[in-house]
Amino acid sequence: MMASVTQDATSSRPRPPGPSGWFTIPAPLARLFKKFPLLTYPPNELPARSPGTTHVATLYVFISDKDALEGLPSYNPSCLRWQTYLRLAGVAFLVLPSSNHASPTGALPFLLPPTRPNDPKSPLPIPSSKLEQYGIDHGLDNGISKLPELSSARLEAYESLLDHRIRNAWLYHLYLCPSHSALLVRLYVAPVSKSQAVRTTVLYQLRRAAESEILKSTGRLVIDPEAIYNGAREAFGALEAELGNKPWFFGSSQPGLFDATVFSYTHLLSDKGSGWEDLRLTHILDEFPGLNMHTLRISQKCWPPS
Amino acid sequence: MALELHVWGPAFGLDSIDPECLAAIACFRCALSSENWTLIASNDASLSPDNVLPALYHKGTWTSGYANIVGYLKQHAGGETNLLIDHDLTPQQRADLVAYSSYLTARGSGLLALSLYASPKAWVEITRPAYATVLPFPLTWTVPTAIRAAAVEKAEHLGMGYLAAEVDAEESSSQGAAETTSTGFLRLRQTLGPSKTFQPEQTAAIRFQYLADDFYSTLDQLRGEGQGKFLLRDGEPTSLDFLAYGYLSLMRVQTPHPILKTVLEKKYGRLVDFLGAVDAYKTGYTLPWQQAQPRGALGLLGSFSDGVMENVPSVGNSWKRWRRGGIRTEAGEDVKDLTQLGLVVGGAFVGLAALGATALFRGLTPFGESTHRFEPTKEDKPNLHQFGEIGAMLNALPVWDPPQASPPVGDTVYHKGDVDVSVDVAPVPAPGSLPA
Repeated sequence: MMASVTQDATSSRPRPPGPSGWFTIPAPLARLFKKFPLLTYPPNELPARSPGTTHVATLYVFISDKDALEGLPSYNPSCLRWQTYLRLAGVAFLVLPSSNHASPTGALPFLLPPTRPNDPKSPLPIPSSKLEQYGIDHGLDNGISKLPELSSARLEAYESLLDHRIRNAWLYHLYLCPSHSALLVRLYVAPVSKSQAVRTTVLYQLRRAAESEILKSTGRLVIDPEAIYNGAREAFGALEAELGNKPWFFGSSQPGLFDATVFSYTHLLSDKGSGWEDLRLTHILDEFPGLNMHTLRISQKCWPPS
Repeated sequence: MALELHVWGPAFGLDSIDPECLAAIACFRCALSSENWTLIASNDASLSPDNVLPALYHKGTWTSGYANIVGYLKQHAGGETNLLIDHDLTPQQRADLVAYSSYLTARGSGLLALSLYASPKAWVEITRPAYATVLPFPLTWTVPTAIRAAAVEKAEHLGMGYLAAEVDAEESSSQGAAETTSTGFLRLRQTLGPSKTFQPEQTAAIRFQYLADDFYSTLDQLRGEGQGKFLLRDGEPTSLDFLAYGYLSLMRVQTPHPILKTVLEKKYGRLVDFLGAVDAYKTGYTLPWQQAQPRGALGLLGSFSDGVMENVPSVGNSWKRWRRGGIRTEAGEDVKDLTQLGLVVGGAFVGLAALGATALFRGLTPFGESTHRFEPTKEDKPNLHQFGEIGAMLNALPVWDPPQASPPVGDTVYHKGDVDVSVDVAPVPAPGSLPA
């Protein structure tokens, strides 16, 4: 009993006062740091391929290196959509190949505006959601014209065709259709890594993502390819009827964002160089000559044959 | 046998709880006479191979989903009924029909998912009770939650998910007790600008209202172009009208935060008129309701255990994909993904193994002896036993005991489960007395 009391007394005696124990450097370390003072190296050089001062805006898209040099269309519909739109709007820009990991929003495309010589700060990248405004601000005057109010409601309805039916068909056609495995690997998987294990995982993830996108959009539990292709046929038919004999959609005098969106799918489906093995969707599109003419018109406007 | 239409049951004073079922009912009501079809509130999506209601059963084939049913009616049922839907549209009207149907299903279902399913208050107060009334007993635990999860996912897919989260957060803050300062006074809300005075639910409501406005005005402008009674034209309703009717009538349901209802009734009177026009298209029509076949205990149990499996963490999704999902090939069979099957089997195996290990562990006897007894050693006290029988008799006499009551010599200090700890207790000498 006595012994325990004395022990309690010693342990509860206040510690020797000093600066708070957590933040002081222990003495041996302090001596070591005095011997070797901290040296700060100058910052590393940026990698050689990082953007330097450019006088032209740069659009980062999914594209092969060779096509990027010539400024040809991207093979990804949402990239091609904005590439076409900016070209229609008359914005001068370069195209560089990139991947989703490089984008500030996690998705391509994004645009890096040109650096101004008198402004030392590097410009902020512009995500795709703000590219429409950028096209209006920086394009030529005769480029994009805003649509009148009345047709903008119809535009919204027709956009849902593109965003759901045609996009679902595209997703199924490229990602899930078994005959396009090789094409999918060549376009989206091979640039990611050389390792076979990584490629297999990425391919699996891409397929699962495409599947869940389609299921969420259709609200079903099963993907029915026949229904998806039929939905695309109906959607293309509706677009064809809306286009009618007019040169551009909704009777606009100039092609706009909607035309660019339609073009991004129709061009990739009808282009002979796309490497489709299964031509179902291409044949469906061939049933609608008006859309094909529209594709040609935009193609000639944006990529005039030299 | 005529056409059998299977739907989700009635709720909120409407014929069905689901917009597409409502649309299908309206379509059948306007296009067919009541002896040509029967309406069954079966509430069982697993009837049709696609797991979707509304589903149409006709001549041994199932067709599910509103658009497919309309397509089927146009193709097959024309002969035996006087059925005419969408038969005399101009190409432009046909294109509009396809485009606006797609718009309605995408946006409308997103808005409904937010107002009826994702909002926690609406779910608890009206939607879940509505499902509880149409479903048989054990399924009320599994089916509505699955439907809600799908609806919330849909809202997120359309980029509206954040609204539900904010409405959720608001309910705790606005119903809580008034904030007080540390001295006990009521803390006044800082009123620095409009954004600070708003409750989170109000900001969410403003954005939600904007989305609703956008949706209604798109429909309203379509109607405005035609100047007719219905959306596309004046005389006859089209399949688009029925679809719009299904979505708009569910949007008029009184929810705890009736944003959709208020916007529709205050600003878009013409759409309300349109609903009235569809209602009034065939008056005096009695829907050919028929009792659904009872599912039987075995079927109920099957569906219930299926629903339970889908809710098992980490196995549920793979189970669902394997059970129902997959990609149908052109021939019409499902491609059952082998990796998914592997995942299900693997998950089930791991679960069973964990269960077995637990059972085995619990079944093992505890290590060592189950009972530990600590007995005091018998002291070799001299007593009268050594004097034989007479000594034993004398020993029992109380006279021989020491004058003070003898304290217990053993005590159980630890008793839990199988372990008893008994210790020997020595009498403490009285404070004053010294040991001899």
